[in-house]
Amino acid sequence: MHHLVIDRWSRGSSPLHRRDPRAKLAALLVFLIALSTTPPAAQAAFAAYAALLVIAANRARLPILGLAGRAALVLPFSATFALLTWWSGDSLRALALAEKSFLSGMAALLLVATTPLTGWTAALESWRVPRMLILVIQFVYRYLFVIAEQAQRMRWAALCRGSRLGGFRLAAGLVGVLFAQSWQRADGIYHAMLARGFRGRFVPAAPSPFRAADALFLSACLAGCVAIRMLLQA
Amino acid sequence: MHIPDGFLSTPVWATLDVVSAPAVAWVARRAQRDTQDHRIPLLGVMGAFVFAAQMVNFPVGPGTSGHLVGGALLTVVLGPAAASLVLTAILVLQALIFQDGGVLALGANVFNMALAGVAAAYLSYRLWGQSSRSGAIFAAGALSVMTSACFALGQLLISGVPMTGGVVWASLGLFVVSALMEGAITVAAVRAIERLNPAWVSGPQPASSRTVAGVGLASLLLVVLGTLIASVAPDGIQRLTGQGLDSAAWSQRTIAGVGGLALIFAACYLGGKLISRRRSA
Repeated sequence: MHHLVIDRWSRGSSPLHRRDPRAKLAALLVFLIALSTTPPAAQAAFAAYAALLVIAANRARLPILGLAGRAALVLPFSATFALLTWWSGDSLRALALAEKSFLSGMAALLLVATTPLTGWTAALESWRVPRMLILVIQFVYRYLFVIAEQAQRMRWAALCRGSRLGGFRLAAGLVGVLFAQSWQRADGIYHAMLARGFRGRFVPAAPSPFRAADALFLSACLAGCVAIRMLLQA
Repeated sequence: MHIPDGFLSTPVWATLDVVSAPAVAWVARRAQRDTQDHRIPLLGVMGAFVFAAQMVNFPVGPGTSGHLVGGALLTVVLGPAAASLVLTAILVLQALIFQDGGVLALGANVFNMALAGVAAAYLSYRLWGQSSRSGAIFAAGALSVMTSACFALGQLLISGVPMTGGVVWASLGLFVVSALMEGAITVAAVRAIERLNPAWVSGPQPASSRTVAGVGLASLLLVVLGTLIASVAPDGIQRLTGQGLDSAAWSQRTIAGVGGLALIFAACYLGGKLISRRRSA
């Protein structure tokens, strides 16, 4: 579990990968707002939104099934509520709940599968999201897998020493040691960063200009979403 | 409880996005002010630590286990502003990369967990930290989970996700169980951390501002209760305000309700501040 498959996907070189992260982020928001305001009865619209996503995934040369499988992570939660809604007699709404959450997840996934983390965080920063928050997001993502792996290793080590699987105090100790190691790692990271000339922010490699193709892409997405939302009413 | 997109009605997610964005900006500014440079990587690594610590299973009773949620732990260790910021960063990553919580619903999730949850943890820790530390940490963990979960439930109900009374009571029961679990796990984790190095956990603040903390916590819990009551029985509120059962006006009702609750909160907070100032003068 060294790296997420999303990391590999996001390093592709399709036309969609080359679009400016700002354009893709804006397109995502437009899509999500259109989807979220679509009434449950407009089932044709949901099919059209799905078609839009399939076209985009196809242009990005991403495996549709892989994307759908990851987006299905939302389903346990939304299926529970969809079932509750079904029982209360509103089957159309139940279907719409599941569809909306799944398609929204898929759309967000499409953004991060075509844009590296540094890309979309730079887009957020250009939209005046606090720099401190951006820095923390970047650090959390960078150390997520390092520390998760450390936790896994500690669990195995405890098991190898014949600890009962579990024990409340053992788990607490595990968390304590994990905390201590994380803390010391953060200290080391800070000194290494200072040695490399860190001045309080990560400098992006080359700020790319917002090209005509990006504007075209954004307007196409906008037009598509608005058309679906307006034309395919129930 | 991460709310995905598609569950909240437009007025609810839009309102909470509008509320959360400036709040996060304020929290970020505070965190930046309180944080020395060397703590920037620390905040990030602590976020990653919470992710990893959530994978550690705590056995509670036969066949059941819980895990750390971490909001209260971060609040006790890093202070409220930094904890809010780290939790917000985690929520952003979960929404975009792990499909855990929606993007439009990010404002709601940030409000529930990173703002209200941390506020509940911080206020309890501050209020009871002087008298009984373990009790205070337990309350911080339990109340932060309870606050977040009740807000999420209230928002779902206000958005019109249909739930029968039985389902609502069952979820409330579930929340209480997970809140108690989070309290116990947070106490155990903080104790384990303190055994390794007591300096890592910040002590509770001086007692002079306990009144503010008490009034703040009381008003926060009142808001939670108010949200729940308003969402379970909107008709009662409607009768109270003398409006008819007009379904078109419900978005106004939502906004008016949220606004009213915010006003109550502000009034309680300011009142508490005045009282404590008079006492210390």
